[in-house]
Amino acid sequence: MKTWLNVRIGLDDFIQTKIIDYRIPKNINIFYTLGFLAVIAYAVQAVTGIILLIYYIPHPDHAFRSVQDIMTKVPYGWLFRQMHVVGSNLMITVAILHMITVFLMGNYKRPRELTWLGGGLSLLLTIIFGFSGYLLPWTQLSYWATTVVTSMPTAFPLIGNPIAQVLRGGDHITEITLSRFFALHVAVLPPIFLTLTGIHLFLINRIGISATPFGMADEEKRPLTEYKRKTHADGYPYYPVFFQKQMYMMMAYLAVMFFIITFLPNLFFPEEAHIPADPFKTPAEIRPAWYLLAPYQLLKLIPNKFFGITIQAILVALFLVWPFVDTYQEKNVLKRPILRGVFIFLLVMWVILLFWGRTS
Amino acid sequence: MRYLLLSLTMLFTLPSMSTAGYREDFEREFMTKTWAGAQVEENSCISCHASDKMKPEFKEIVDAWQASWHAQNKISCENCHGGDPKDADLAMSRERGFLGSPHYKDVPEFCGKCHVGILANFLESGHGKALKAGKKAPNCVTCHGSHNIQKANIDIISEQLCTKCHSYERAKIMKVTLFLIEKKAAQLEQSLQELRQEGLYPEDDQKSLFSTQATFRTLFHTVDVNLVRSRTDEFTSKLDLIDKNVQTMFRDLRSRKNFSAFLMLVFSGMGIIIFLLSTTKKD
Amino acid sequence: MKRRRFLQIILAFLASITLLSFVYSLLKFLAALPARTAEANKLIIRKNEVPSGDAKDIIYRDSPAVIINRSDKGFIALSRVCTHLGCLVEYDRVKQRLICPCHAGNFDLEGNVLSGPPPKSLTVIPLRIDGENIIIG
Repeated sequence: MKTWLNVRIGLDDFIQTKIIDYRIPKNINIFYTLGFLAVIAYAVQAVTGIILLIYYIPHPDHAFRSVQDIMTKVPYGWLFRQMHVVGSNLMITVAILHMITVFLMGNYKRPRELTWLGGGLSLLLTIIFGFSGYLLPWTQLSYWATTVVTSMPTAFPLIGNPIAQVLRGGDHITEITLSRFFALHVAVLPPIFLTLTGIHLFLINRIGISATPFGMADEEKRPLTEYKRKTHADGYPYYPVFFQKQMYMMMAYLAVMFFIITFLPNLFFPEEAHIPADPFKTPAEIRPAWYLLAPYQLLKLIPNKFFGITIQAILVALFLVWPFVDTYQEKNVLKRPILRGVFIFLLVMWVILLFWGRTS
Repeated sequence: MRYLLLSLTMLFTLPSMSTAGYREDFEREFMTKTWAGAQVEENSCISCHASDKMKPEFKEIVDAWQASWHAQNKISCENCHGGDPKDADLAMSRERGFLGSPHYKDVPEFCGKCHVGILANFLESGHGKALKAGKKAPNCVTCHGSHNIQKANIDIISEQLCTKCHSYERAKIMKVTLFLIEKKAAQLEQSLQELRQEGLYPEDDQKSLFSTQATFRTLFHTVDVNLVRSRTDEFTSKLDLIDKNVQTMFRDLRSRKNFSAFLMLVFSGMGIIIFLLSTTKKD
Repeated sequence: MKRRRFLQIILAFLASITLLSFVYSLLKFLAALPARTAEANKLIIRKNEVPSGDAKDIIYRDSPAVIINRSDKGFIALSRVCTHLGCLVEYDRVKQRLICPCHAGNFDLEGNVLSGPPPKSLTVIPLRIDGENIIIG
């Protein structure tokens, strides 16, 4: 078998050069596996999503019922649905953690600016995945949370209303909205996401893994003025060292997922998530999902609608193009107290806004 | 590069400051907006009866009704009294079917416009016959109130209420007869609520429970203890059937928990083993 | 070496269990066929049990139903469970309607809502006539 493959694709040579000779810096830690976890998380979402597609019906008259049947009548339907719901929240968490660790290790700096940009856009895409998927079960929670979020763009003058109209397919959320969110979630976003991730991974491989600035002094001369793939001649081989780390982190991710499914099955299901959508009855508290709570709360706090949404648009744009703004050569964040301070401050603010948004 | 971005930022922020609105404006538009489709019912009955110009005893009606179970189920003035809530001029006109408030003797038919089964049983009962014969007797309002009507419960049968006309003995016997079934139904209601919270949808059983309890309570209105006793078994067996389904659903939930706990343990186990493998030296 | 081998064996064992569990659940998930309507689900009653204009209460699949012999359109079988809150509707021969005693929901003899709180029409149960028999379900 192996010889057969060997003659046709040079399997042995491939394994030797790409996997065993691939060297990883010595001070690598588990935080380096977070990107891999995000990809695994996506794979779980894609597989469970396809499985759910088999019984889900994307029309307001049948959507709720079909999800209900998946949860109660179809054998093990509950398993795949729970994996998909819990997985979506875990994937966003992992992606955010990955972004934080990359930021703190300064791995967005030259020559890795495009990698950061690709990653940032992937995070935004993941949030759009979450937002479009949220409507699909057509519950009170889905309907009204989507109503709130699709109203947020109206804060922009002139273009705000048209944007909201295109999103909703009209003035209100109807079966048109459901169809387009379904198309988005199932057919439009996946290829875009995969392309972005593909480019992201290609860039990582092409440029080479950067060494963490902590522990070991990085002898790389900065600023870099020509292309040179980063290698670690004295580093560990990818297999088995880093591969094992990735594997047990993947197991940890799945263990956490099943911990939540076993002991906290209603963590992401408040009461409104079990009631079919009723366009004439607004529940007492409408809130978007937790990952959109901070922007939502910020909008509520800033009295000027337009100013509120502008601030957020600026922050997002800043976050995406940060490597182009921050060209300071020092990579080690421990030697940059101002940056560290501002970053931690913004992070803490985000968390505070999140909890505030939950309770107000 | 960074100065370019900085200046773009400033440029973008400036116009937004010029359109600075006031807090009230923002709150009015964004926070209190009636969301897409959420209907705001216009009700002329309530607009007049709740206004300060109204006599206090008429004004009280609105508050009493709003606290009622009818109000929670969107049953309002015109559903019982007729009339037209959308037209302030003709709200109480005969041509819009306004009925006014019924005479004491006619109250059962007034409520029985909807509560058909109960009306039938009541008219057959000692209470109903006495009422129609002009003797001292209760009507619906005597026990249930007129506007602040709450969900029926067994404690409406009370010493205070029933001794207005006769001794409490008979009422007490009836209450005891009803007690067990009411208790079982309440327990089932609670279990079904728990199941709903766990993401199961026991609609058929909920309907069956409502139907059984409603029939049972309707039957009570005959105030015939022997009749109620003779049919108790029938009701008990219906409730037992629902209980069986409820227990099956709880079992289902437990087995789901077991399965996912098993998967969790297997994944944690694999994680630990891979970790151990990574720290075990190769020869 | 022994310890390593041991760990590898356990890992392989656990991995195959996981894979089997998921494959098993996926197969059961995909094979969820609707309950085959076995002959036992069908109910057979004789035509002469339901004279013209009358109705007969039956139990179909554990749920109360009614079969009506309409004078103009023949037999029809409907579920008696009212679509409002679940009370059992009753056939009113005089008014030629089905009336729910709980909140006066009125249905016509096709099951459609005429008045009252019910949100949907009554479920129709398919039937066919076979000689002297009516086969319901």
